[in-house]
Amino acid sequence: MKIVVAYKWAANPQDAEVGPDGTVDWSRAKGAVSEYDPVAFELARVLADTCAGEVVGLTVGAAAIDTPLARKAALSRGLDSLVMVADDALRGADGTRIAAVLAGAVRAIGDVDVVVAGESSVDVGDRQVAMTLAAQLGWAGLNAVRAVTADGGSLVVEREVAGGVETVVAGGPVVLAATADAALPRVPGMKEILGAAKKPTQVLDLAALDVPAPADTIAPVSTARPDTGNRQGVMLDAADLPAAAAQLTAALRQSGVL
Amino acid sequence: MDFGLTDEQELLLESLGDLLERECPESYIADLDLNHQQPTSFRKAMNDAGFGSLGFPEEYGGTPCDAVTLVLLAERVARQGLNNGYGLELLQATDILEFGNEDQKREILGYLAAGEVPFALGFTEPGAGSDNSAMATTAVHHDGLVTFNGTKTLITSALASKNLLVMAKDPAVENPREAISMYLVPMDSPGLTTNRLDKIVWHISDSCEIFMDDVTLPESCLVGVKGAGFKQLMRNFELERLVIAANCLGQAQCAFDDAASYAAQRVQFGKPIGSFQLIQLKLTDMAIKLENMRNFVYRTAWMVDQGLPLKSQGALCKRYCAMAGFEVADEAMQIFGGVGVTVGTRVSRLWRDLRGHRFGGGTDEIMVHIAGRQIVKDHS
Repeated sequence: MKIVVAYKWAANPQDAEVGPDGTVDWSRAKGAVSEYDPVAFELARVLADTCAGEVVGLTVGAAAIDTPLARKAALSRGLDSLVMVADDALRGADGTRIAAVLAGAVRAIGDVDVVVAGESSVDVGDRQVAMTLAAQLGWAGLNAVRAVTADGGSLVVEREVAGGVETVVAGGPVVLAATADAALPRVPGMKEILGAAKKPTQVLDLAALDVPAPADTIAPVSTARPDTGNRQGVMLDAADLPAAAAQLTAALRQSGVL
Repeated sequence: MDFGLTDEQELLLESLGDLLERECPESYIADLDLNHQQPTSFRKAMNDAGFGSLGFPEEYGGTPCDAVTLVLLAERVARQGLNNGYGLELLQATDILEFGNEDQKREILGYLAAGEVPFALGFTEPGAGSDNSAMATTAVHHDGLVTFNGTKTLITSALASKNLLVMAKDPAVENPREAISMYLVPMDSPGLTTNRLDKIVWHISDSCEIFMDDVTLPESCLVGVKGAGFKQLMRNFELERLVIAANCLGQAQCAFDDAASYAAQRVQFGKPIGSFQLIQLKLTDMAIKLENMRNFVYRTAWMVDQGLPLKSQGALCKRYCAMAGFEVADEAMQIFGGVGVTVGTRVSRLWRDLRGHRFGGGTDEIMVHIAGRQIVKDHS
């Protein structure tokens, strides 16, 4: 079974600075494997280990994603090999474009049985790339995946759905988007980190993937911080607990919460 | 001069940071300190992630490692606030992997894999410590057996260990350098008894006296070559001093960070105390000491990696970092004021634990003894 982990080498939000007007300065943010993706690496590795499979990492983005550090950071997370599309034509590309390029890369890799991705990217948070990728490939797409196991030539997939868990069998190629807590990602160990540079990496030429040019149908108009509401910051003196409880319920009633 | 980290070092530190966040949060360390327990589960997690065999030969599942990387990792664990959390046990285990027999190696590796303390180092005695020539514990070989008699004291982590790496001398050999041998003695050997010593520092590592009265074991408990115990023991002492210095650096950085954050938040006379120049002076001098410690530790590690003779460097580094580290923690406690001395605060634990490094692994004064005579020799 050939499993592709589609991940993003994204700016680390911990390094970003938010200005008073809500603008985000990413200029000092270092790259890292997007926070929601290690769970996809873990699901893929465990799945591959149960069926003698192979795990190929796949990431696309601007030329800056192809650094020795970025390669080793991904390869130390249980991958057998890595494929990248690193081209400045992809700088700032939207989710639809990224999914199209990922689809081209998956076709170029060939004989892929399943693509596993995180539920979202940590910097943009579109939550749509994995399912758009499935559509681009013409494959089934399942999001909210919390577990996956191999059963003969099929995959048994557990999904979180409203009010419960759904179990489905996927008999053909499929794209899975894992929930953030689907697995506890292992911490890359000494051997994995020190051995990462020895694993094969292939850089695909964007032009050779024959991905159609993007249609300029969507352009961001504005961004704004979410409304945090009108915080009142009421302080209660807890020295007299019954009185404090009464004050709390009164304050909650006054604000309309109760 | 390149002060940057390699890709591998960056990734190792990132990975270690994740592991510390998951397996070694402050609440865990505080509990260990309160209950006087070893960080067993953290050590096991470190071993599972491959950090527990750093520097071991590859035939024992180890990973080759340079000294700079070793001190970076030791510093990072200490910056979490955990005393002696990483590094020293690896150096001690290396003694067994290098000089021990196959049974001893297998046993020690098994304990490491389980996160347990593989053995305690039984060196110090009531009448001998840095002056090893005064060692009185004897090991007499007879009929394929060895019989031990003597007392060890201030032995760290022995009560949590299955074995004691005993240094004992053959009373028939006059030259103390040739009389001392190294032995791996099970702590449950008949005739071996202990007496716990409560102390105000290093709560996660117990201390005790050990009494050996006619403890008799097969000669296979000998580690390495008979009479070469002192040389074997000395082999890793320079690296041990370096790891201790890195530990002091990390803990001092932790105390500094806590104090600087507190100074930014604690309001007196209507403004944060960090805005007062007296507090800024303290923080500035603490930062200078940290920078000096860092440079000292990294450069000494770099010298090890270059194969340069350390001569007095290890002792100088250990002395400076132990003293400067404690001074940083002391000033951190001063910035915290009365809060700093209350039980359960991290800065109070760091202050206690850093104080212990001014004698653990060799006192400030013995470092002068080691470095001073080397300096004079180099200039004679």
